[in-house]
Amino acid sequence: MADFYMGVDVGSVSTNIVILDEEDNIVWKKYLRTQGKPIDILKEGLHDIRKELGDINISGVGTTGSGRQLAGLILGSDVVKNEITCHAVSALDFMPNIKTIIEIGGQDSKIIIIRDGIVVDFAMNTVCAAGTGSFLDRQAFRLGVPIEQFGKTALRSDNPVRIAGRCAVFAESDMIHKQQLGHNQEDIIWGLCQALVRNYLNNVGKGKEILGPIAFQGGVAANEGIKRAFEETLKQEVFIPENFDVMGAVGVSLLAKAEAKRKKSTSFKGLNISDINYKVKGIECNDCANLCEIIEIQEDQNILARYGDKCGKWTNAIKDKTKLA
Amino acid sequence: MCKIGIPRGMFFYDYYPFWKEFFEGLGIETVVSPKTNKEVLNAGIFSCVDEACLPVKIFHGHVEKLRDNVDYIFIPRIMSIERMEYCCPKVLGLPDMVKYSVKNVPQIIDTRINLRKSNIGYKKSVYETGKYLEKDLWEIRSSYTKAKKSYERYIYLLNKGVVPIEAIKMYNKAFKDINYSSSSHELTIMILGHPYVVYDEYLNMNLISKLMKNNVKIITPEMISKEEINKYSSKLPKRMFWTHGKRIVGSAFSLIEKRKIDGIIYLSSFGCGMDSILIDLVERKAISNGMPFTLLTLDEQTGEAGINTRIEAFIDMMKWRNKDENNISAFR
Repeated sequence: MADFYMGVDVGSVSTNIVILDEEDNIVWKKYLRTQGKPIDILKEGLHDIRKELGDINISGVGTTGSGRQLAGLILGSDVVKNEITCHAVSALDFMPNIKTIIEIGGQDSKIIIIRDGIVVDFAMNTVCAAGTGSFLDRQAFRLGVPIEQFGKTALRSDNPVRIAGRCAVFAESDMIHKQQLGHNQEDIIWGLCQALVRNYLNNVGKGKEILGPIAFQGGVAANEGIKRAFEETLKQEVFIPENFDVMGAVGVSLLAKAEAKRKKSTSFKGLNISDINYKVKGIECNDCANLCEIIEIQEDQNILARYGDKCGKWTNAIKDKTKLA
Repeated sequence: MCKIGIPRGMFFYDYYPFWKEFFEGLGIETVVSPKTNKEVLNAGIFSCVDEACLPVKIFHGHVEKLRDNVDYIFIPRIMSIERMEYCCPKVLGLPDMVKYSVKNVPQIIDTRINLRKSNIGYKKSVYETGKYLEKDLWEIRSSYTKAKKSYERYIYLLNKGVVPIEAIKMYNKAFKDINYSSSSHELTIMILGHPYVVYDEYLNMNLISKLMKNNVKIITPEMISKEEINKYSSKLPKRMFWTHGKRIVGSAFSLIEKRKIDGIIYLSSFGCGMDSILIDLVERKAISNGMPFTLLTLDEQTGEAGINTRIEAFIDMMKWRNKDENNISAFR
C-alpha cells in the first residue's frame, strides 16, 4: 500500500490540509475556514479525506500554524513546527534559488530572507494586524465586494486614491472619508492594496535586503491587486507558487516525511479520529493571583491534554485523573 | 515599627539590593510587592493614565498591591544616575504620577537622585532619606556602608554571568563558588530592552525561562560591565544621553563586535519613545554584522502563541545557520 504524508496548518482564518505522496506530489488539498472552531474543522477535514480518498495509509503527520500544538495533540503528529520554518521549507522546494519570501496570512505577515538555501533573517508584524488577510476580509465585507473579486476590482482602477496604511483604524476611517467624497470603489480598493504593501515594506520589511527571486505566499497571494502593488513597488517580478494558500502545510508535511522516515514509524492516531468526540473545557483558576485560563481537551471520556497554567498544577494533575472543577 | 513598601516594577532590579539593605540597617521592615500577575496588571491599568506604557501601568499596580499594608512607599525620583545623562521622563515623574493616580496612597518617599552634575549627589540623597525617617547620622552612615557592600556583591554576580532575576534570589547567600556559566549551551542569545521589560516575567511571558529550557545561555545589558558599555557606546557619532539607552546600545555593540552571541532578541513595550531610536541603532549594527536580530513588541496580550512562534522560529534559524557554517570547510 502506498505511503502518504499529511500536513496541517491551523491558522487564525483558515485550516489547510494537504496530502503528499511518496514523490512529494500534492494529491489532495483542502482550504477550510477555521471560524474559531479548530477542532471541528480539523475533524471535518479528516472526514473529507476518508470520503474522497478512502482509508489511505498515512505514514507521517505534521502540524503548523498558530493552532499547531492543539492540532498536534489531537492528531498525534510527528512534527510540530512554527510557520516560518515550514514556509521556508516549502518555498525552497518550489524554487531552490529563492531569496525572499513574502507571506501574508490571516493574522500575521512575515518576511523570510533566504541566502544559499538557509533562513538568515525573518521578521513578523509586531502588534498591529493592519495589512493582513483579516483586515482585507473586513474591508471587502464592508464595501460589499466578495473577497475573491477584491484583487480583480483593484486592477480595473487607473487612478488610485491614497489611503493611510500605518494603522487599521486610520486606514478604515480614511477609506470611509474618501468614499464619502465620491471616489470610485475600484480606486479606493487599489489605493488600499498600495497602502497595505507600503505598510508591509515599512513595517515588516524594514531594513531587510529584498532580493529576487521573490515568492509571495499565504492566503492574501490570491489577491492580484496586492501582487501588482508589490511588483510595482519592488520593480521586479513576484512569483506565486501554484499552492500558495497551503504552503505552510506543504512545508510541514515535507518535514513530517523526513521525521517519519528517520524514526521509521508515525505517531498518527489514524483517520478515524473524525468519529471521536472532543470536548474543550475552560476555567479560570482562582487559586492564586495569576488567574490563569486553563484549557482542558477531552477525547471521549479521557483527558487528552490540559494547558494554560503557569504553575503546572493542572497540567501535572492529568496523571492522577483529577477533573477540572 | 514602620514598614516601607518597595514596588517590584520599573528600576527595581537596578536599586533594590541597595535600598533594602539600607532600610533594614535602619531597623525598618521592607515589603516587596509580589511578582507581576493578572491582579497587579488589572489594578495598574485601572488606576494609571491610559497613554502611559505598560511597565508604568504595572508599576501603579504594584503600588496598589502594597497600599494597604505599609506606612511608606519608596519611589525614588530618578532624574539622572550618570554625569550629564538622563532617564526616561516617565521615571522622572513617577512619584507624581503615582501620587495623583493611585487613591489613598500612603506617604511616598520620593528620594531625589540627580547625579547629572556630580557623583557625590547619591550619598547626599541617601543621607537625606535617612534623616527624613528620623534616624541619627551614625545609624545612617553604617547602613549606607552595608548597603553599598550588598550592592557591590549584586553587581559582582551580574558580571559573573548571573541573570538579575536569579541574582536577586541569591545575592544574600554565600556567593563564593558560582560557576554559573560553566555548563555548555548550544546557543547564546542576548536579550535587550529596559530592565523593567526584560525582568518582568509576567510582562514578557517568561521569555528568559523559555529560552533557558531550550538550552540557551542568556546575556542581558545589566550583565555587561560599565567600562565595556562606555567604550562601545562612545562609538556612536553623537553622545547617548539616556543612561539606559547607553547601556542597551553599548552592551549590544560590544557583544556584536566581539561575536560573543548567536543572536539578539529585543523586547520592547509598545509605544516606548526611547526604544524607537535604540531598536534602530542596534538593528542596523546587527544587520551590518550579519547578526540575527528579532524584535518582540509587548503590550497587554497574554496569548502566548505569537511570541512562542517567533522564539521558536528564531532559535530554529540560528541552529540552521550554525549547522550550515560548520558544514563549510575552513580551507575553501
